[in-house]
Amino acid sequence: MKWFPSFGFQRRKRELQEEIDAHLRMAIADRVARGETAETARQAAAREFGNIPLVQDVTRDMWGQAWLEQVGRDVRYALRQLRKSPGFSITATAMLAVAICANSTVFSWIDGTMLRPIPGARDMGDLVSLQRGERNFSPTPPFSYLDYRDLREQNHTFAGILAYHHDWIALTGNAQPERVYIANVSANYFDVLGIKPLLGRFFLPEEESRAVPNVVLGYSLWKTRYAEDPAIVGKSIEVARHPVTVIGVAPEGVVGAMPGIREDLWVTLDPLGTDEWRMTHRSGGAVWLNVIGRLRPGVSRGQAAQDLDTLMHHIVTAYPDQHLGDNRITLDPMWRSPFGANGYMAATLPILLAFAGLVLLLTSANVATLTLVRFVSRRRELAIRQSLGANRIQLVRQMMLEGAVLSIVAGVVALGLTSWTSKTFAWFFPANAIPLVLNGNMDHKVVIGIAVFSLLAGMLCGALPAWRSSHAPAIEVLKAESASISGGSRNRKLLSGLVVAQIALSLPLLLCSGLLLRTLRNLAGANPGFEQDHILTASVGLNIAGYSNDETQLIRHKILDRVSALPGVKVASLTDWIPMTLSHKGEDAYPEGYVPHPHESLQVYHAEVSPRYFESLNIPILEGREFTPDDDEKAPRVLIVDQTAARRYWPGQDPLGKRLRVWGRLFTVVGVARNSTHIFVNESPEPIVYMSFFQEGYETIVQVKTEGNPLDLAPAVEQAIHGIDSRLPVFDVRSMRECTQMASSFAVIQSTLAGMFALIGLVLAVTGIYGVVAYRTQLRTHEFGIRMALGASRVDVLRLVLVQGLWLAGTGLALGLAFALGLTRLIARLLYGISGNDPVSVVSVVMLLGAMSLLACYLPAHRAMRRNPVTAIREL
Amino acid sequence: MSEKDQYKNRIELLQGTLDMLILQTLQWGPQHGYGIVQALRLRSGDVLQVETGSLYPALHRLERQSWVQSEWKQSESKQKARYYRITAKGKKQLASDLGRWERIVEAIGSVMYVKPEESES
Repeated sequence: MKWFPSFGFQRRKRELQEEIDAHLRMAIADRVARGETAETARQAAAREFGNIPLVQDVTRDMWGQAWLEQVGRDVRYALRQLRKSPGFSITATAMLAVAICANSTVFSWIDGTMLRPIPGARDMGDLVSLQRGERNFSPTPPFSYLDYRDLREQNHTFAGILAYHHDWIALTGNAQPERVYIANVSANYFDVLGIKPLLGRFFLPEEESRAVPNVVLGYSLWKTRYAEDPAIVGKSIEVARHPVTVIGVAPEGVVGAMPGIREDLWVTLDPLGTDEWRMTHRSGGAVWLNVIGRLRPGVSRGQAAQDLDTLMHHIVTAYPDQHLGDNRITLDPMWRSPFGANGYMAATLPILLAFAGLVLLLTSANVATLTLVRFVSRRRELAIRQSLGANRIQLVRQMMLEGAVLSIVAGVVALGLTSWTSKTFAWFFPANAIPLVLNGNMDHKVVIGIAVFSLLAGMLCGALPAWRSSHAPAIEVLKAESASISGGSRNRKLLSGLVVAQIALSLPLLLCSGLLLRTLRNLAGANPGFEQDHILTASVGLNIAGYSNDETQLIRHKILDRVSALPGVKVASLTDWIPMTLSHKGEDAYPEGYVPHPHESLQVYHAEVSPRYFESLNIPILEGREFTPDDDEKAPRVLIVDQTAARRYWPGQDPLGKRLRVWGRLFTVVGVARNSTHIFVNESPEPIVYMSFFQEGYETIVQVKTEGNPLDLAPAVEQAIHGIDSRLPVFDVRSMRECTQMASSFAVIQSTLAGMFALIGLVLAVTGIYGVVAYRTQLRTHEFGIRMALGASRVDVLRLVLVQGLWLAGTGLALGLAFALGLTRLIARLLYGISGNDPVSVVSVVMLLGAMSLLACYLPAHRAMRRNPVTAIREL
Repeated sequence: MSEKDQYKNRIELLQGTLDMLILQTLQWGPQHGYGIVQALRLRSGDVLQVETGSLYPALHRLERQSWVQSEWKQSESKQKARYYRITAKGKKQLASDLGRWERIVEAIGSVMYVKPEESES
């Protein structure tokens, strides 16, 4: 087998042989000339020359290529050794491959989401996300256009600051309107991100705030809807029934600046000139922009935050009435940007990577155990090699190479597996109204990651046993005695240590997965405070399809009437928000007459709901009344608050009749609703105010309470809506159960992966302890035979083996428990309805691992007990 | 003289001096490995016996450092042999090796030939 078929090397080897031959021939010729016989001359010359292969060897060392040949030889030898024990090789490779794959999969998810928050953008590290007020998950957009423009133009620390507003809209013009995701962006949007157009151009500075109906298409929209038309630039398309001109196409992969969220097309901030109000105000509905900045080279995030804070302070001083609430600015790197999906990712994925890291450690310990057992049985071979002149470094190198071969093969297998598993991340997210583009990504970073993980595994599972085994004094080993083959006390200690480590590492995995699984069950079983069964929801793209306000109101009433009249429908209502779908709307709200302190934020969630909304979701109105059809645009503005909002604004008072200022207008409280879940079951209760749908509603979502399975009614509901106007876009038709699954998707990810990792951990720990106990028991067969011959009962032998195994298991469990209780503190934030040191979970996990270990020890013990002492003694 | 005695009379080569000896031998003209061994033995009056296990590694190392060059040629006895030739770089190296050697010899000499009373003072 030729591993390094280097031509030059072979030629030089041949030449060296010829050189030595020539040397010998000349020496013989000289001796013959002096009168010796040919035969004696030949012998004398050979003796004088010395050990020819040795001379060749040391000479080749000088070529500087020798290591290549040596490595080739060592690799060949390692492969031969591994081929000789296929069971070990396959098991170890498979285990390592799974462990490496676990790590690389989670890493590919981190890489695809947190590390690539804005696909296509250059120098991601310089981008920071701007947030005003306190930091929380998926906050509402924090800046008005005027504030944004002031910050952009007056700062000294940014190379550029962009603003965008994410929304959806209908592409009209074809027979059926199509819902697409759109962003209103500042003119410098693509410049700041560092993206160049594929076709045409992007926006010009003078277009930013003017009514210029230009649009930039995303690559996938251009591909699917416009068939990659190379002449699309300059053509007119229809968006929400308005003609707009395509000026450019973004390159493939570019999906916009909000992490994890897709945008299909981009327009400027006020392309139709219909939003003048929000372009010229600084508060209320004019606060609508998300802002991302690119730091100047050499500027730190802290300096930039200080710069912006100073600017914001000037703005607040100049326009105090428009800047109630918290105005301090915080900057986040994009990987943990609070906008978009990364906030959630940052809370979940690193913990999973830590779990995967534990699995890798555990697997390495397991493979190290197997390797050690193998090396102990190979001690005679090693001793012979040592006495033939191999030094310790050579032996260690040889054995580490065996570990390296295993882990490289495992790494290659993991690479193949990961290219598939990296794409499974998207499976965890149910179909929903958010255009999520979350998935793992397989790029050079992941490949490097796999190489690092393999290297680590190879080092861990090769080096330790190799070093230990090479310590064996050759003479002792060569004395073939079973006692010395058993490995001496040092190897025994190392083996025990590895088994203890495996149990200690698998216990925290088991405990965490147990806690997370119970959290998932608690979440599923929790009462969110509203009805989830027998509810159908459907979005109607009224405002995105370009209807006028009057038309919209008329159509909404018609929808309510027609859907209510459908057979099987109990109650129909309209809303513009569905709870537990990771979305919410927030606004500052102040009680009438209340003057907030500087930086005091009284933000509340708000939702606009029609009459009978509370009835259809079974949310009781505790005081006052529900909305009625009379709460329309002509009537005075009214509010229903939940208990938390009532307590926050009017503690100890009757909220009915009190008034709250939102968007600068006063709303009168007419009812108090019971608290219900808004985003996550395990959220701390946030105040919410409900407004009347026919006064403030924006999106139109039909919510239908049905008698039977809600999905059975879906076609009828769609038909009824299309009966009003066949061009009405209807989308996201789902049952409430399906919608609210979104809220637990992260809990599902956590518990699924933790569960899988824990299962791997359990199997590894149990096979580890089984392997070691079985191996030791086998070595002591002879001893047991003698014991039994001298009168020990079978039970004594059983106890002997069991005690040995259980002592290991016990130590491992004790260490693991301490480790686990420390670790569960890390996941405390993820738990719901259960504490990190929940006694039931702790006890059951310890019992499970203990029982499995007992079983693993019992099997070899039982086998030893059943041996016939006579044959046992004969066996050596 | 028995072989054993012969061996005893040989001087262990100081580390690094083999390179110098080889380079010096090649000063007199290109030579093959066997020739170098013979030349060194003759010139040292049978005292210096270079082991092949040291000679060939040294030659190949010197070649790698470009102090010598090698080529295959016919020897006087019609043998095909590998001849080594010293290069300009090798000559420079030889000069510096020689300088170092002389300094060592001088230093050792001044230690060894010091009068006892002087060393005590």
